[in-house]
Amino acid sequence: MAIDQITLDILWGRLIATVNEQAAALMRSSFTSIVREAGDLSAGVFDRQGRMVAQAVTGTPGHINSMATGVMHFLERFPIDTLMPGDVLVTNDPWKTASQLNDITVVTPVFKAGKVVALFANCCHALDIGGRGLSADSRSVFEEGLFIPVMKLHDRGKPVEAVFELLKANVRTPDEVIGDIHSQIVGNEAGAKQLLSFMDEFGLDDIEDLSEEIISRSEAAMRERIRDLPDGSYSYELCIDGFDEPLLLKAKILVEGDELTVDFDGSPDAVPLGVNVCLNYTRAYTTYGIKCALSPDVPNNEGSFRPVHIVAEEGSLLNATYPSAIGGRHLVGHFLPSVIMGALADALPDRVMAPGFDGLWDTHISGRGRKTGEHFSFTWFSAGGTGALKHKDGLSAAAYPSGIAGVPAEVIEALSPLLIHRRELRNDSGGAGTHRGGLGQVMEIETLSDEPYLFSGLYERTKFPAPGLAGGSEGQAGRVLTNNNEKLEPKITRMLPADTIVTLEMPGGGGFGPAFERDTEHVLQDVRNGYVSAAEAKTKYGTVIDTDTWAVDAAATEKLRQKTR
Amino acid sequence: MSFRFGADIGGTFTDIVLVREDGAAMEFGKVLTTPAQPDDAVIAGLEKVRADAGVDPGDVAHVVHGTTLFTNALIERKGAKTALITTKGFRDAIEIGREHRYDMYDLYMRRPDPLAPRHLRYEVDERVLVDGSVLTPLRDEEVVAIAAEIRREGVEAVAISLMHAYANDAHERRIAAILQDELPDVLLTLSSDLVPEIGEYVRTSTSLANVYVQGIAESYLGRLRDRVTGELKLDAGLYIMQSNGGVCEIETAKRYPIRLVESGPAAGALAAAHYGALLGHGDLLSFDMGGTTAKACVIADGKPLIANEFEVDRQYQFKKQSGLPVKIPAIEMIEIGTGGGSIARIDALRRLQVGPDSAGADPGPASYALGGEEPTVTDADLVLGYLDPNFFLGGTMNLDIEAAKQAISSRVAEPLGLSLIEAAWGIHQLANENMASAARIHTIERGKDVTKFPVFAFGGAGPVHAFGVARILHSPRVIYPLGAGVMSSIGFLTAPLTLDFARSYPGTLDGLDWAAVAGILREMQEQGREILHRTIEEDQIRYEHFADMRYVKQGHEVRVPIPPGDFGADHLEQIRRSFEDAYSAIYGHTMQGAEIEVVSWRVLASGPRPDLILPQADPQESSDPATALKGHRAMFLPDEKSVADVPVYDRYKLSSGASFDGPAVIEERESTVVVNGPATIHVDQHANLVIDLSKVE
Repeated sequence: MAIDQITLDILWGRLIATVNEQAAALMRSSFTSIVREAGDLSAGVFDRQGRMVAQAVTGTPGHINSMATGVMHFLERFPIDTLMPGDVLVTNDPWKTASQLNDITVVTPVFKAGKVVALFANCCHALDIGGRGLSADSRSVFEEGLFIPVMKLHDRGKPVEAVFELLKANVRTPDEVIGDIHSQIVGNEAGAKQLLSFMDEFGLDDIEDLSEEIISRSEAAMRERIRDLPDGSYSYELCIDGFDEPLLLKAKILVEGDELTVDFDGSPDAVPLGVNVCLNYTRAYTTYGIKCALSPDVPNNEGSFRPVHIVAEEGSLLNATYPSAIGGRHLVGHFLPSVIMGALADALPDRVMAPGFDGLWDTHISGRGRKTGEHFSFTWFSAGGTGALKHKDGLSAAAYPSGIAGVPAEVIEALSPLLIHRRELRNDSGGAGTHRGGLGQVMEIETLSDEPYLFSGLYERTKFPAPGLAGGSEGQAGRVLTNNNEKLEPKITRMLPADTIVTLEMPGGGGFGPAFERDTEHVLQDVRNGYVSAAEAKTKYGTVIDTDTWAVDAAATEKLRQKTR
Repeated sequence: MSFRFGADIGGTFTDIVLVREDGAAMEFGKVLTTPAQPDDAVIAGLEKVRADAGVDPGDVAHVVHGTTLFTNALIERKGAKTALITTKGFRDAIEIGREHRYDMYDLYMRRPDPLAPRHLRYEVDERVLVDGSVLTPLRDEEVVAIAAEIRREGVEAVAISLMHAYANDAHERRIAAILQDELPDVLLTLSSDLVPEIGEYVRTSTSLANVYVQGIAESYLGRLRDRVTGELKLDAGLYIMQSNGGVCEIETAKRYPIRLVESGPAAGALAAAHYGALLGHGDLLSFDMGGTTAKACVIADGKPLIANEFEVDRQYQFKKQSGLPVKIPAIEMIEIGTGGGSIARIDALRRLQVGPDSAGADPGPASYALGGEEPTVTDADLVLGYLDPNFFLGGTMNLDIEAAKQAISSRVAEPLGLSLIEAAWGIHQLANENMASAARIHTIERGKDVTKFPVFAFGGAGPVHAFGVARILHSPRVIYPLGAGVMSSIGFLTAPLTLDFARSYPGTLDGLDWAAVAGILREMQEQGREILHRTIEEDQIRYEHFADMRYVKQGHEVRVPIPPGDFGADHLEQIRRSFEDAYSAIYGHTMQGAEIEVVSWRVLASGPRPDLILPQADPQESSDPATALKGHRAMFLPDEKSVADVPVYDRYKLSSGASFDGPAVIEERESTVVVNGPATIHVDQHANLVIDLSKVE
């Protein structure tokens, strides 16, 4: 080892601080609220070979993990030694980066003594990229917006005006989109400045030794974790609503020594809709699931991904080829961590989480407000319940695997003519188990308008609820209802009469372990607090609660539980 | 001549400071905190310091007090049995929160339990709309029925937080009136009174936290008041430190105890600002390192930055959004898990990691010899020669250096193949790195350049580490005030009487009803005047107006100072410019053509800032530091990568004007200034040690 232990620890820490600072600079100056609020971005530093060395602790798995492989593609197009000081590169190629045209990656080489010593990259969700807008309705990527191949955004310090003009002419919100790209450039510059400063401080001419050490240690740690798993083949399949027909996601995990392969063989073919997934996005959510279960403490870099192999048949749903439509890839991709958890349940029972609601509920309402008479349009995302673990109940109304920042009902009402009548946890929706799944939520929404309004929703787990693990029960499936007792389709874009009140009942998470083994004190607390009804306590948990005295009827409970043994 | 007291209750010690108004005298005292009845230590400490100084009780004009009592009650969940009354359909707002997981990878992540369990969250069928109009009127009989439930459950405290109550508080007030009749002994907090701002989750969370500790506040503060006048015979004004950097009277403190929660750290930052002003540093980085955490606070233009929201009871001690949000103005700071007690470990990647978990005070670092086996930062500091095992806390506690060596050798040095000194240095320097990184990112997030900020170091471990941290940050200068352990108490004495008011009245800059805005501001100003003029001359009261503003659809608001008085068209332009200045100071740009909106309006009413005059000594002719030399000690010097003998000075014997070179160690009772590299140390007329780093590098 060329670097002594303590210096390595310090430099590694500095590198991580540097990318966190890069992300902070970007986040604070972004024009897009999803970037600022939910931290929907990724930022990292790469070595001369395009290997990711360190990454900011932020963002969603789709951005973070798909970026790991992204910079290599930039260097294929622009070999490292052809880059010049002041160059900035860009792309939104879904097959090379984050599997959606809205996700723009900006890469900046850092020079020291005339030589590239590192590259800073970040990926941010642009407010708009033209086309149909964020939608799953496209039949090919051509409908989804402006496609920016890997190209120069700045050439030797000068903006490439043609690129900016094309962008401006093709997006609905040019000021914000261009503004965000500038923040992305500024973020990389902030990172570069810090990197050069500490290279000077420690007398480093390059970071190649440091990179090698970080990557090889991370790889070794990851291999050690995999080696701890019993060798073997672990399978799981998870069915989701899909669009016209259900989609069965299948995975087989093969553990051989210190290598792990996830094979999605048997998963569906690509579909003529914008929910296909590029392989890098499949890899992103797969490795995320693996990391949560196996190695949350191993930092994200080239090394930690090396012993993990992801296989999906070319042209299939999970390895869609150009020019498949991919704009709504998260509608499928967000379920992959649960597929991985399910498969690893036997190998790693203490560490996996039962499937939860997984896919964010996406609601969009537009129309004309009664009071102002003006057109409005409002979109928000909501979360159901997450799955339970061996030693813990699931979380209620909590986003996993993606992140969101929920909007308060008061703020929704201030920004739109919507009236939220209810936003509460959905009782009995958590899957029963020794540990209970998290509860979904119920939202009841009125649109204060005298005219019909447009209601669009992308809702999952309405037909196929989140399954339990290790004998736990499934959570409740979601439902979409109106005040006229009409059941709405979960993937819907429809004009609704002005007086229609829509109720969203979001899915709960799956339970873990047999429900009859749940601590009766916990069942009592659940009933006392209304998370579980007394009726379900009896039927599902074999626990009889006296709701007058708030006590467990021990004898009756014992008798009930005995029966099932 | 009159005197002023500052009294700060900390986890281990209760600190007392006594100053004479003219700065001719300043006395410190420290007594052990008495957790069961915290006022015991305050009373004993005040009496001891007063008697030792020979001050007549009649000469004490003010006592300013700060306490962590309420923070502790929130963290330890020792508050009242608390219920919530809210609008039908929204009892789960505090549980749904932001629908967010604050940690991406930890599947066992926990959220803090709401302060009112779900079965004590009652809903009333009423509804106010965003414009304050009533959609569903309140029915009294429903409230009466809930009161009966509350009585049956034995609830002691109730938060009332209804939808859009910031826009129309009539229903909250009606419910409160009914409850006061039905349940006269139950404490109440109204969200429209405490925090009339938009956002039901945070408003409700704040209201619950307040009422949860209100009972403790009433009994504790009432008792303290009685004992100060009764037992100590002090005819002094008693003021309580708030988290916003001002003090308030007992009555306000009893009603709004949540405003007192972060007061200790806030006062430390105030002290830093005070010293900064004295030394001509408007910009300063306040750096406070104690046993379990380090805190950094940016002082810009002589003022600590203020945030509108903070968190209590964080589940991951230092992770944003892992706690209960509280929407109360507070001095903004970053806190990380690096302190003297922070534990050093080797992680899965064979990296050395320091903190965030801490050995605390019990068992404490290995060298405390109280059963702690894990190596900590204090143990490393001891092994490196930075601390004297026989002069810890002024010699009141001996450290076991062999235990420290043993812990570091067996748990860090041997596993990593390092020498004992290398390992100890690694622990010390990684702690410095952690703190420097946190401080740097904190300043970046606020659009400041940390390399221009001198470091103001205090806290038990602050002076031990500040030189190293400042070198990493490329800070121009480090300032070590005398009394590293009592800075909060000193800060108390610089805090003016302050009242904060806020009201949500959202709208775009071009669409607001300015007459209504002026009315709201006038109302808040009048509320402030009413309370303050009881103790302060009318013409001494200052009013500052602020608006929380942002570009439409952006998430973070910026606190923008706006001109007082009524609004006209020219003011509009002025407000816009104020916003653009504030915005670009943070983000480096403005957004041309984008619409600007205001979310909340604020009025800060304050009395005059007390003039704290610090003892001062002109440079002495006989300022030879040799008279203060205690001896020499072997200490690790990172620049030489070796151990060498360095001079050890007695801080109390150094006179103003003294100047000497590092490496050196300067010992005071509560801490040790460690200068482990080349530097020139200067003693100024206020007994501060000042090191100019710009001359070093």
